Amino acid sequence: MTALGGPKQTAGVQPPTGMGLAISIILIIVALALAYFLVQMAGVIALVGIIIGGVLIAFGVHFVPVGGAPAAMGQSPGIATGVAMLAAGAGLAGLFGGAWAAPFGFGVALAGGAIGGGLLMAITCTMVNVIYIFGMGIPAASGKVEKDPITGDTFPEYKSQGTEGHGLPFISWVGGVVGGVLGGLGGTLIYLELVEVYQTQLSAILGATVDQIASVAISLAGIFAVGMFLMNAVLAAYNITGTIEGPHDPKFKRFPRAVIAAAVASAVAGIFAIGLLELVGVF
Amino acid sequence: MEEIVFGIGITALAGALATVAGAAEDVESDIGSQGDPNSQVQLAPQMGYIHRIFNKAVSGEPPAYGLWVALGAGLAWAFMTMQINPILAIVLGSALAVFVQGVYATTAYLGRTASLAKFGQPVYIDILKSMTTVTMAHAFVAIFTTVAMCYLMIVALGHPFPLPLLGIVWGIALGAAGSATGNPFYGKERQYQEQKFGAGVPISASGNIVRYAEAGQRNSLDNGFFSAKLGGPASGICFGLIVFFELWRTVVFEELNAWGPVIVGVVVILIFAIIDRYIEVWARKTFGPYTTSEEASS
Repeated sequence: MTALGGPKQTAGVQPPTGMGLAISIILIIVALALAYFLVQMAGVIALVGIIIGGVLIAFGVHFVPVGGAPAAMGQSPGIATGVAMLAAGAGLAGLFGGAWAAPFGFGVALAGGAIGGGLLMAITCTMVNVIYIFGMGIPAASGKVEKDPITGDTFPEYKSQGTEGHGLPFISWVGGVVGGVLGGLGGTLIYLELVEVYQTQLSAILGATVDQIASVAISLAGIFAVGMFLMNAVLAAYNITGTIEGPHDPKFKRFPRAVIAAAVASAVAGIFAIGLLELVGVF
Repeated sequence: MEEIVFGIGITALAGALATVAGAAEDVESDIGSQGDPNSQVQLAPQMGYIHRIFNKAVSGEPPAYGLWVALGAGLAWAFMTMQINPILAIVLGSALAVFVQGVYATTAYLGRTASLAKFGQPVYIDILKSMTTVTMAHAFVAIFTTVAMCYLMIVALGHPFPLPLLGIVWGIALGAAGSATGNPFYGKERQYQEQKFGAGVPISASGNIVRYAEAGQRNSLDNGFFSAKLGGPASGICFGLIVFFELWRTVVFEELNAWGPVIVGVVVILIFAIIDRYIEVWARKTFGPYTTSEEASS
């Protein structure tokens, strides 16, 4: 029901428009062409990695059960904090692990990043239930579904009156861990792609060995990875609008729009990250 | 072997520092009503409930602590490059970061409370004087311990990130862990202490926060005292476990095999899944379903 004109709203799920898709594809192609122009094939590969990383982050944020302010009063299920903030916490912890494991190879670093993010979410989600159950005496109950899709637990009788549910049912716990894993994976992928580009560019510009410029390359790649993580997490949070219970929440179906937006945003931001040192080299 | 034993010692120390940081962070944010429970402190005067609760929500806890810890770490790093002793540099960096926190807290309280003038909510200068310094003291503990933990990760464990970047990463993670674990305890158990135990706050009761204490009006120091009993320590355990397991799986198992930390990480996640499921089932059996609507109502 709206006083405004415009297309009919369909339960919050708004598929991407044709115009939006066309502009997105054009922007991504332009970014890839620029990457080729600036750093040749290595730039294209790095940008593709950054786009995939951004998409993984935005998709992963939709899994994280976030209840916001109502969850802090036991009025709705989820973790009592903001969507982007919690996802950033998990993803950056993953980035920490991934960067540490980078010398052992691409696969180990990616897996280390993914598990780092998942570990933070596993511990946080468990402690949320510990506080709800042992601190507040409130069992977990979803407000969006009648039964837990994994355990088969029923929720209506465990939902206190006047609330939309509370705590973290097991499906939300699993969603949180999956979100953390995807976030950590995406953040680490962006970091690894950028660090490789910066190591090559910096050693060419400064005429130094990779070891000599490693700390600068790692710092730059780390800062850009953190920035791109926050950008994609906030984009996904705008798509979610407020709270989400996890993969069983109807809002989860909104993810295609966020994934497309994240791909475009990562491509545009990625071209600035990749082209940064080329510009410095010109001056 | 010696290296691993040294690494385990550093891991334990970092975990202990993180535990203190998590506890101090949650108590600091609860005294200032930062994080999600702030919505109720801001809402109460609009519903006619004038209160003396400190209201300094600068932003969500993760970005706020990302800023303060990164600032403390950056300044400490700058002092270290000036050949100042690392411990002194971390203390100085954290102290300067705390002044920024104090400025934010002051402007946030004045701005947020002044915006409620039309609902009759006064700006209490005595609250500003007495509460701000207490939140600053707690923030110092949280920032100092987190920066010290980040410094250990670089110097003793060889993490490649520079100190300010690790400050951002672990500052945001600290805020995320503290707000996720501590907010419900402050928001539901303290602000709505008059509501029945064992049930969520009915949406119709929103804004009706508890405003009176054993003697006189409740203030945020009482809330800090309450949070320090469970919400704070639980947040500390949460952040401490995160840091400990993140470091432990790498320090101990990386020497055995490059994939060792990944496999151990998966095992730890599965163990937490079992713990979570166990307490979820335990709660359903022990508390049972809500039998009648009257029992669960406000």
